[in-house]
Amino acid sequence: MELTKELLLNMYTKMNKIRKFEERVAELFAQGKILGFVHLYIGEEATAVGICENLTDKDYITSTHRGHGHLIAKGGDLKFMMAELYGKATGYCKGKGGSMHIADVQKGILGANGIVGGGLPIACGAGLSAKLRRTDQVTVCFFGDGASNQGTFHEALNIASIWKLPVVFVCENNLYGISMRQDRHQAIADIADRAMAYGFPGVTVDGNDVLAVYEAAREAVKRAREGAGPTLIECKTYRWRGHFEGDPTVYRPKEEVEEWMARDPIPRLARYILDNNIATEEELKEIENNIIRELEEAVRFAEESPYPEETSAVEDVYTDLVEEGRVR
Amino acid sequence: MRKIGIIANPASGKDIRRLVAHATIVDNNEKVNIVKRIILASQELGIEKIYIMADTFNIGYKAASNLAYLKQLKADVEILDMPLTAGFKDSMVAASMMEEKGVGCIVSLGGDGTNRAIAKVIKDTPLLPISTGTNNVYPSMIEGTVAGIAAAVVASGLFDKAATCNKNKRIEIYKGRELVDIALIDAVISKESFIGAKAIWDPKSVTDIFVTRAHPASIGFSSIVGYKEIIDDGDDVGAHVQLGAEGETILAPIAPGVVREINIKKFNLLKLDEDYIYNAENRGIIALDGEREIPVRAGDCILFRISRNGPYQVDIRRTLEIAQKSNFFRKV
Amino acid sequence: MRQLTYAEAIREAIRNEMRRDPRVFILGEDVGKFGGCFGVTQGLIDEFGEELVRDTPISEEAIAGVAVGAAATGMRPIAEIMFMDFVTVAMDQLVNQAAKMRYMFGGKISLPMVIRLPEGGGLQAAAQHSQCLEAWLTHVPGIKVVYPSTPKDALGLLISSIRDDNPVAFIEHKLLYNLKGEVPDENEPIPLGVADVKRPGKDVTIVATGLMVHKALNAAKELEKEGIEAEIVDPRTLFPLDKETIFNSVKKTHKVVIVTEEVKRGGWGGELAALIAEEIFDYLDAQIVRIGSLNVPIPFTTVLENYVIPNEIDIINGVKSIL
Repeated sequence: MELTKELLLNMYTKMNKIRKFEERVAELFAQGKILGFVHLYIGEEATAVGICENLTDKDYITSTHRGHGHLIAKGGDLKFMMAELYGKATGYCKGKGGSMHIADVQKGILGANGIVGGGLPIACGAGLSAKLRRTDQVTVCFFGDGASNQGTFHEALNIASIWKLPVVFVCENNLYGISMRQDRHQAIADIADRAMAYGFPGVTVDGNDVLAVYEAAREAVKRAREGAGPTLIECKTYRWRGHFEGDPTVYRPKEEVEEWMARDPIPRLARYILDNNIATEEELKEIENNIIRELEEAVRFAEESPYPEETSAVEDVYTDLVEEGRVR
Repeated sequence: MRKIGIIANPASGKDIRRLVAHATIVDNNEKVNIVKRIILASQELGIEKIYIMADTFNIGYKAASNLAYLKQLKADVEILDMPLTAGFKDSMVAASMMEEKGVGCIVSLGGDGTNRAIAKVIKDTPLLPISTGTNNVYPSMIEGTVAGIAAAVVASGLFDKAATCNKNKRIEIYKGRELVDIALIDAVISKESFIGAKAIWDPKSVTDIFVTRAHPASIGFSSIVGYKEIIDDGDDVGAHVQLGAEGETILAPIAPGVVREINIKKFNLLKLDEDYIYNAENRGIIALDGEREIPVRAGDCILFRISRNGPYQVDIRRTLEIAQKSNFFRKV
Repeated sequence: MRQLTYAEAIREAIRNEMRRDPRVFILGEDVGKFGGCFGVTQGLIDEFGEELVRDTPISEEAIAGVAVGAAATGMRPIAEIMFMDFVTVAMDQLVNQAAKMRYMFGGKISLPMVIRLPEGGGLQAAAQHSQCLEAWLTHVPGIKVVYPSTPKDALGLLISSIRDDNPVAFIEHKLLYNLKGEVPDENEPIPLGVADVKRPGKDVTIVATGLMVHKALNAAKELEKEGIEAEIVDPRTLFPLDKETIFNSVKKTHKVVIVTEEVKRGGWGGELAALIAEEIFDYLDAQIVRIGSLNVPIPFTTVLENYVIPNEIDIINGVKSIL
């Protein structure tokens, strides 16, 4: 398998874009500029990027409450994302969705999802649709270790298997379902083992190694595209921040967090790129500077954008009806 | 006191061959069951003390506490008090501790990689490896009960180690004077430039193979050599082959369910302790017993040497035959 | 005019739409060779094949979720939930996903999907196979809820539901499947949100849904003998609701009885009563009467079931209580 410079730098760019976006969101949340619940993806960047680098705009993803990383990896626009987090009319969802519901159907992003395990059956529907429409589109379904205990996980894996759907199930095992550590919430260590019960391959990879994720995803996506059916990829990773911003994380030891932070996926990729003389430090710096510029433009765009008209609250429930408003 | 050690590596499922080939693994809950069967069998044959490696899945604790709950545990089981890294280092630390405690045999559950880690540190303790995957050459697929019995025979101290065990060969890999790593079965040079999903599975990327043993009845890259020449663990030679476009074409099972045409450009037997110098022209990676481990850069000079410095591996059939002939199993 | 049963009319609507639009397909438990638990999809597999008439495992949440995903990506699924009671197992996909996706995404997606939901008692099927849960669905913005009472309405409303770009819950009453009735020779859609006056009258308005429309018609015949002319309005779509037709009738009769089979407490009928009270209170000459099932699970044995579910006598008593 050849790792071209273009591919490696793309991955480096996307991972940094996610990291810097999330860091900025954390700041803006702390300043009270972003409201609601935000669940940050910091630490897990290699997973979204290693997977999505194998997809095209025509392929689909379903995402989770921790969805910013998936969106950016699949080509989401920082401006519209940031505007949505600000609740502005120019956001992806015109201020109606917020962090947990960003979608970009044109880019195949079938939405972040506030319900743990909610995306699994939907991914199967997208997979079935591709099959019925005779396209070679692949659907990647992101979910976490917590979701692997939901009924939808088992229903979806079963249905994808019997129908040989072009779906790649990607379990981001970040060790915690909210506050509950994996060894307390399930009696297995490798969620990939569960694929065996449904009759298709499951494989565990180091979710903090973008090259390992990319390699496994490449084979799984190929399998799906060729009509050989689903695959479960478990990416072992870790969220650096709390479940949501403001979570005091009293349920995990500091040493554990530090240990995982030492396995930061971004310097790991940088080291590989530099060690193999694929790009220079200046080139990498340039990439980072470009991201910072793009991000600041996104923040400016969000700040300068107007809030939606309050009466738009009753629009978009149905395609052909507007619900009743109120007079104030 | 008759003592054995058990090292069960919980890091299953990390094999991309499950996806790209049709490989399978023994999951962790089954490993717990295997450990129980080892304990039950070995304690009936005189083992009084069993040390088990601590691990992130608590395989040893789960096995022992379940047997204790069922009132089936007779031996004294001790889970080693050791720091955990959830990696191959755990197997190394546990193996050293067990050797220090003077166990008569270490039973391992894992693949070639787990045994390679153990082999790096143990000196004299016999190793009885149980395979928990489909892609292994070094450990064999053997029922835990039988393994427990064989381990009890070896650890009884009644039989000569030279009779029950084989002293294995190994491949030593040096960068300069430094021994950087070892392999028990094969070392493979690949044009892949990254460790990624670890397992080596794409034959197109492989340029060189070193083996300590080779047999057509095995699987993986050593089988390529085995389809050309049979080299037993007892033979005082190893082999090196170079793959390339020209040369002799053979068929070999390079992964479970994957039989491929392979071109052997050059084939050489390597004598014990003979050095083979590899001058890298391009970047690549060395895979040891099937796992991508050592990155190679253009200009690197790497030395491969086959030696007899491997572990004492229990020959299960021979051990049980000796025990049977010596009336070891007769109730008095 | 032809005669079709209610079940045949539903099948005719599905067949019509599947022939017309390659994006339409069916999925559900035993909808294929078995023909569906009530035989509604019988024979469709022979014409359209097992790919488009798709048997699913017994996984209601996956059925609903697959419909959502397929609708989001260019198909027009019709999902059958074998008994409406089982929709409770699929609730997340209907309530949190299907109903809200368009809104959450700022109007940038549409979900053209139909969920067919056979409901109702009278088959001694007991508490988990007899419920009428329409209020659970009308309560959730983002779903349209349709409930035909005749073969003609079933045909026309299902065609419209399949062509609608929103999630539609299509409720069918199990005791109506064998009801024969006239349907037009051409398969014409009936627009959603248009009520139908099933019987004109001047003395009292009876708003009834599903099977209760027929019980109300029977009751009206009895009342007629006593010189009471009841007007029966069938809303046909519970949301969007044709308030105008209902309100016009009430404005004419000044009295209203609402008859639904659902458990009375917290029902859709209560919502209608509230709307009438809020919006046309001045036209009322008497209190609004609601008739529904008693507030208990539907019991098994006939004598108990008949006691719990409203019948003609309850309707007549209800009408007389305000005359």
